[in-house]
Amino acid sequence: MYGWHLRILRVNLTSHKVTTEDVDPKIARDYLGGRGWAIHYLYKEMDPMADPLSPDNILIFATGPLTATPAPTGNRYMVVTKSPLTGALAHSNSGGEFPTWMKRTGFDMFIFEGKSSEPVYVFVNEDQIEVRSAAHVWGKDVHETTDILKAETSADARVACIGQAGENLALMAAIMNDKHRAAARSGVGAVMGSKNLKAVVAMGKKNPKLYDSAKMISLSVDTSKNVGADVKKGSNMRIYGTSYVPQVTNTLGILPTRNFLQGTFEGVNNIDGDALKNQYLIRHTPCYRCPLSCGRLTEVPDGPYKGKGEGPEYETISSLGTGCGVSNLAALVKANYLCNEYGMDTITTGMTIAAAMEMYEKGYISEEIIGMPLKFGDHDAMIEMIRKMAYREGFGNDLAQGSYRLAEKYGHPEIAVTTRKQEFPGYDPRGSQGMGLLYATSNKGASHMEGDVAYEEVFGVPVKENPLTTEGKPELVKHFEDSFALMDSSGLCVFVAIRYAFNKDRMILPQRLAEMMNFSTGAGYTPEEALKAAERVYNLERMFLLKAGSTEDTLPHRMLHEPLPDGPAKGKVVELDKMLPEFYKLRGWDEKGVPTKEKLEELGLPL
Amino acid sequence: MMIHVKLIANYREALPPEAKNGVVELDVPDGTTVYEAISRFDIPLDDTSVIVLNGLTVDMSTPLKEGDMVTAFSAIAGG
Ligand code: SF4
Repeated sequence: MYGWHLRILRVNLTSHKVTTEDVDPKIARDYLGGRGWAIHYLYKEMDPMADPLSPDNILIFATGPLTATPAPTGNRYMVVTKSPLTGALAHSNSGGEFPTWMKRTGFDMFIFEGKSSEPVYVFVNEDQIEVRSAAHVWGKDVHETTDILKAETSADARVACIGQAGENLALMAAIMNDKHRAAARSGVGAVMGSKNLKAVVAMGKKNPKLYDSAKMISLSVDTSKNVGADVKKGSNMRIYGTSYVPQVTNTLGILPTRNFLQGTFEGVNNIDGDALKNQYLIRHTPCYRCPLSCGRLTEVPDGPYKGKGEGPEYETISSLGTGCGVSNLAALVKANYLCNEYGMDTITTGMTIAAAMEMYEKGYISEEIIGMPLKFGDHDAMIEMIRKMAYREGFGNDLAQGSYRLAEKYGHPEIAVTTRKQEFPGYDPRGSQGMGLLYATSNKGASHMEGDVAYEEVFGVPVKENPLTTEGKPELVKHFEDSFALMDSSGLCVFVAIRYAFNKDRMILPQRLAEMMNFSTGAGYTPEEALKAAERVYNLERMFLLKAGSTEDTLPHRMLHEPLPDGPAKGKVVELDKMLPEFYKLRGWDEKGVPTKEKLEELGLPL
Repeated sequence: MMIHVKLIANYREALPPEAKNGVVELDVPDGTTVYEAISRFDIPLDDTSVIVLNGLTVDMSTPLKEGDMVTAFSAIAGG
């Protein structure tokens, strides 16, 4: 076979037994790879009702058929498991180098089952697979752990690991790879911590064989040239990474500000892309084989927030920054570094602190409980809360459960801005209606990465849609959800794929995605078949969600009943009931959001 | 009448030196449209740009009012 190795590594952490198995080529083709393969196995092998932090949960690392190929941005993997934050499915994406190194071990996917009695890490160098003690790195942060494990294995190895937050089962714990890249959302790092799995270290030389390597290379070069031409013209993603976005969302009035109490932030000029570039940027840093290179290496050279690392990205600016009302850039950058070092999702971390700030200001949580005042804009208190969360110390233990449980515990559930208990990313859906439908229906809870229609509603890619209207949004959301399932399964980064793989009619440009998959795998997908397979993946994820008992597609109180008080979207709430019935119909689901028998049959899914 | 034009990120290079935080104030004749205001700047006016009036999606032929803000940024994915 080509593109895929069709081999899985399975590690039982309870017994430390390691096995390998082959993948049925039909399953490989029908479920694409990455996220698609992972849900196929998760659905088949685990009880969706299992406790996510118990040994019964399964943790999957999955690369796609374009990972470790010449395809530009073919550098991704997905972490798929049941989320302890949401109780629903988690699938978190990351790039950097680890995913490529993982695929070069000769396995497409690693499955971790059970729970080790002692802290361990798993070292995979092709067929040399060892479960080793991690006692010496337990308690250490992501940077130290990465350095130590590379030093004791090989400089040629790459490391994915958890920090203190994952060890302590904080529900916003991420799995960090190559120090700065994160499979961030839904508490996947806590699942890793619950298994006493500190790290996975991968290396090897087994690049996947390509079905048509000459065509693959020429297509990859051509796509890279396209990206390169845009970069030359002055691509914002190259100059600023995503840090230019606060100015855009602030203009549209959808920049989450003070826990979504507002849609515009008066301090935006202090923390936007230009401020970051002029003050702290050292250089841009790419994931492996990425012509766009949107990462930022930054440094705060001195003062109380001195440090060096990567970021912040937009989603960090809109959560730890504007979400918390923080306009001190050095403190925000430091907060980002701390999240990376402790291994935490900046979105859930920031928005949980934001919810606590609102509850403090409204008098719902006292200074005595928190241990200090916690006003919006207090960047030093924010930094202290991050540390407390990672260690679950004092009030940090409440914060470590995420904003939904926090708000519920203190008797004000209306404060939490979550769906399926997961915090919203950086687009207020009251001024971006399609995002509202997306957050409400997402199988993994609120997430832009489930099908980011902000591309059209906010950024005009591939076409500009009016963010304030509901017409046509159900179709748009369905299309983006399926397209993201395809990209997440392929192993490409959406930043590049969405821009170069779709035409103005939102059709996949066959030469850019289906053909790439075909040159890699030889599977002969038509663009329609590739999208159909993505729809299969999406529907199977829905089935997992339903069996996990999380059914209602809705939005939190603030989004449905509290109109935005400021900005261009002033007076708006999300008009969910105008969109939801049509969305279900387009999906072939019944009025409760359950896939119909006909739909499951059409997709060849189990009834 | 006085209006404001705001250019974001890479488009800021097209602004005159007196611009502050990406915003410049312009004195334009009554009846000036969004299109006419933004055409004064050296930025692409095809579908590679997103142009909004007071943060809202409008037709480019919309006439401006005193105090309006026209904002433009490059249509590139992010976030
Ligand atoms: S666009 Fe950014 S996130 Fe995507 S592969 Fe390139 S550097 Fe990584």
